[in-house]
Amino acid sequence: MKLAPLFGIEAAAFLLIIAETYLFFNFVIPIGSIPHSLTGYTGLALLKLGSIAALVALWFVVMIGLTRLYVREKIKAAPRPSS
Amino acid sequence: MSSGLADGGLLLLSFLVPLIVILVGLPPFLRFLTRVGRTSQDAHKNPPIRVPEPAGPMLFIAALIGELFVALSFQSWVPVAIMLGAGVAFIIGLADDLFVLGGKTKPLLLLLAGIAFTGVVLFRPNLYQPVLTFPLLGDTAPHFTIYTLLAVVAFPVVSNAFNMMDAFNGEISWFTLLTSLALLAGVSLHAAYTSGFDLARIGATLPLVAVAAGFLVFNRYPSRAFDGDSGALMFGAMFAGLAITGGVEVAAMVAIVPAILNSFYTLSSVRGFVERRKMASRPTYIGSDGLLYPSTEPGAPNTLIRLVLLAGALNEKDLVKSLVYLTLVACLFSVAISFLTWVI
Repeated sequence: MKLAPLFGIEAAAFLLIIAETYLFFNFVIPIGSIPHSLTGYTGLALLKLGSIAALVALWFVVMIGLTRLYVREKIKAAPRPSS
Repeated sequence: MSSGLADGGLLLLSFLVPLIVILVGLPPFLRFLTRVGRTSQDAHKNPPIRVPEPAGPMLFIAALIGELFVALSFQSWVPVAIMLGAGVAFIIGLADDLFVLGGKTKPLLLLLAGIAFTGVVLFRPNLYQPVLTFPLLGDTAPHFTIYTLLAVVAFPVVSNAFNMMDAFNGEISWFTLLTSLALLAGVSLHAAYTSGFDLARIGATLPLVAVAAGFLVFNRYPSRAFDGDSGALMFGAMFAGLAITGGVEVAAMVAIVPAILNSFYTLSSVRGFVERRKMASRPTYIGSDGLLYPSTEPGAPNTLIRLVLLAGALNEKDLVKSLVYLTLVACLFSVAISFLTWVI
């Protein structure tokens, strides 16, 4: 039972990975058709890169948030070696 | 019927051959390592003891013999591609074992493992399908360039993730064994529910399971052998290659979530790739009672081990048991994902 919060973090991590990978392959990559101007092409590429960065950032933010919450709760009651 | 029996026999041998090579070949190799003075300090023992390292070369030989057997038996290029990627990762790991590479050099060099693996697709276009298959949702559209680039990047990511799960007695061997079994379940379900699936893709998974199982005999607590970076990086590269050729990338990602989290915690808390020997402070320490405690230093790396120990101090054996539980849960989720993907 001591590991239950870590199992929760683990489940959140893989559910986010699956959801974000699906969004990446099914929605981000197929965004728009190939534009015929350099500006349009660059804009589309930047939009895709921004979307990817947002997906990665979301995973980082959620994981860091969950971990900080866990560490804050545990560190107060962290055992010390008997001397 | 006879063809099925023959295939079953070949699959059984694909598992037994590398297992026997490890069980027979590793003891004399460990004696050789001790004789030439290639031993490392087991830092989590009080007082510290020395253990032969690296066992990686013998693990590589066993995996190579197993994959060659599969390649010849099933007339397939899949095991060749797997061992090309794993071989490059092994050489980089061995260089690190012998000369110690920099924290940034190793991941960059490991891109070569991905390039060696994906290079085979030039000769065998059906080496992998450039799609991801999701549970219940099905296939994505094929994206060859994006998929291949991600496949190349997967090698350093997964190899390093495995390497970072190699800190305690039995940790890497248990982790590799459980995740490779989840991978085997995924590839087998894929094969069972997809017509025309190449049996060599199942066969190629078996040497990894066998080598991990054989190595566990020597690496479990108290360890009689350490694999070194050569072994851990090779395990990771084999896993990455097998997940790609088996078409079970999503389930494979789920199985190694503990390693992904461990890498993420370490990299985010030390802010970049830092060779573990050069870390400013340790994430854990041994108390006078012999138990492992989480470091309370503000700058201590926030590894998965530290998070586990924050739930309570543990001896090394129980700590590895906790990590095995975390891996087991991830692997059970992985098998469920494979079931939802291929059966439902």
